Amino acid sequence: MRTASQLDNGESSTIVDVDYNHPSAKRLIELGFTPGQSIELIGKSFFKDPIAFSIRGTVIAVRKNEASCIKVR
Amino acid sequence: MKFISLVGPPNAGKTTLFNYLSGKNIKTVNYPGATVDYNSATFRKQFNLEAHLVDTPGIVSLIPASIDEVVTVQGIYKNPEFGVPDVIVVTVDASQLSRHLLLVKELIEAKFNIIVALTMIDILEKKGFTVDCKKLSNELGGVPVLKVDPRRGKGVEEIIETIKSKLDVGFNPEDIVVIDEDNKNLIRIYKEIEEIEKKVISRQNKEENSKKSINSLHEPDVLTLKIDKLLLSKGIGFLVFVLIMVLMFASIFWLAAPLMNLVDQFFGLLANWTVEVLGKGIASDFIADGIIAGLGAVSVFIPQIIILFLILGLLEDSGYLARGAMLIDHPLARLGLNGRSFVPLISGFACAIPAIMATRTIPHRRERFLTIFIIPLISCSARLPVYALLIAFLIPSGHALLSGAILASIYIISITLTLVAAAIINKMKNKIIRAEDKSSFILELPTYRMPKLSVVWSNTWTSTKTYIRSAGMIIVTFSIILWVLTYLPNVNPKVDTTNLTPEQVEAKVQIERINGSYAAELGKIIEPVMVPLGLDWRVGVAVLTTFAAREVFVSSMALMFKITDTKDNSIQRSILKSMKNAVDKEGKPLFTTSTIIGLIVFFIIALQCISTLAISRKETGSWRLPILQFVIYSGGAYLLAVIAVNLLRAFGIN
Repeated sequence: MRTASQLDNGESSTIVDVDYNHPSAKRLIELGFTPGQSIELIGKSFFKDPIAFSIRGTVIAVRKNEASCIKVR
Repeated sequence: MKFISLVGPPNAGKTTLFNYLSGKNIKTVNYPGATVDYNSATFRKQFNLEAHLVDTPGIVSLIPASIDEVVTVQGIYKNPEFGVPDVIVVTVDASQLSRHLLLVKELIEAKFNIIVALTMIDILEKKGFTVDCKKLSNELGGVPVLKVDPRRGKGVEEIIETIKSKLDVGFNPEDIVVIDEDNKNLIRIYKEIEEIEKKVISRQNKEENSKKSINSLHEPDVLTLKIDKLLLSKGIGFLVFVLIMVLMFASIFWLAAPLMNLVDQFFGLLANWTVEVLGKGIASDFIADGIIAGLGAVSVFIPQIIILFLILGLLEDSGYLARGAMLIDHPLARLGLNGRSFVPLISGFACAIPAIMATRTIPHRRERFLTIFIIPLISCSARLPVYALLIAFLIPSGHALLSGAILASIYIISITLTLVAAAIINKMKNKIIRAEDKSSFILELPTYRMPKLSVVWSNTWTSTKTYIRSAGMIIVTFSIILWVLTYLPNVNPKVDTTNLTPEQVEAKVQIERINGSYAAELGKIIEPVMVPLGLDWRVGVAVLTTFAAREVFVSSMALMFKITDTKDNSIQRSILKSMKNAVDKEGKPLFTTSTIIGLIVFFIIALQCISTLAISRKETGSWRLPILQFVIYSGGAYLLAVIAVNLLRAFGIN
């Protein structure tokens, strides 16, 4: 299964699961990264990390390592 | 007195509402670490409500995600000063309902007495939607829900009335339960919120196709997405980032320079004027050289600090600052820092004090402390006049390019040392700064907008006042202490006045006064420390005086090597002349290429600023970090300076 950190620039997908074991999982869920939500990778920093997602009407930048706990379709 | 607390996610208009209700002008920042930061006030008279009002730091959830957040959340459950809030007003961005209702749900679950204040209705309506407060109130189990526009004061009266009726009913603070949801429960709450959102939000214009309704509300601002495509990109994004940095540095140094000169001249004139009005004597000397000189030392940085905060404020309000933090996060993370260390580090080029205060926005304790730890290594502007004097001694006037190149390399050395220090301390893992939880960078990128000048300016002014208050007292106090040390006890030394002009007599008196002063005695004690640097007690005293503020070095040098020739109007030129003539006990010149380079090395690294140590103590909650900073930086500076001087001499450079 792919994770949100593997999305291409401009690619959208739907969250299917969040890996609860990751220390950042709770914070990401609280910010609205919940299963069923559609997300889009709208940009990467010029060092390719962190990456920015559009979710629930806002844009949130997340380190790749943290985004890897978000499983997408 | 009753106690009302304002709680809400970041950027939901909480502080704007606080300022409207209290008539104050305050900026509340998230403050992780040792203490809880909150602003308290009372309601404006017109509201006829006798109660404390507290603005809490913005939070996403009542469940702390890191150790740092524990303190913040505890402060919401029970304020250290006022206890459990009688009423909590939760601000919720109506255009972000699906995210912001989480906190509301949690506050209800914890059994707080709450009122929901819906903000940003205009943004929701711009997107073509409207929200039904009554339905939302029903869905939330009867919690009052009110629309409010704190910028214009619309709906505030209704909030006040609701607070009053809530206070009349009252509630039992013992009912409060500390909640802790696991991830599964959080997802369940979110499911409920999504259902609620569908019920309470509807299209303004009913005839339009309502099928897509909620989905289009969940799309970010189109213009913001377009701008981000450019500003986050490899080519243009990088260029813009570098350009903004260069412009910022240029304005901190070149825009501020003439203003700083004006402030400097003003205090110089004021001191002269005081002496003229009061006449020569201990009182006028005290006011002119003690108090006014101290005030001048504080004020000279005000233009630079205002410019820095103004630019940072504009960048923040426009939405770019969050992008800047995101763009620089990766390289900083490799050094054990964080994208959010970026702003504090840049502020450090102006002054370490506001820079250390700005670290409050770094959520991770270790990264925050590491940032605080390395900030004093960044060449703050107080070192600039010192560098200028020392470079002027090394390079004859007329070689502007060469002295410019030396100054630039001093800055490059300073930046390199800062980053190396961060890497080393990071490698030492937990020896210096304990790690408590995992590093993280999750940052909401706000919608781009035109910065509001009035908001930016009032924030700038508030920050500047904080600087004046925290650093000002220390600098002025030290300036007075130093004056006493250099003036007493030999106030009126006897000098041979034959064949001397009044100016020469005055100069001679000053030299004799210093030679017999407490400072000289102190200087002679530390002279053994100065000898390896090839310098004597007079420079030792000048270095000691820099603990009030580094730029004091220049005036101390003028004082210690008092110039008999008063025909020259330029202070710097006369100091240089007397420095060239200064000799040690054996009659050899005191200031040589090697000793001057030694001094430069010392000033690049040494932490010789009491205010920085005090603020570091305040922000880290203990003396551990400031003491380590002082020992490592000042000790290291001394060692490296001794090595530099002796290496140069070994290679025949005197």
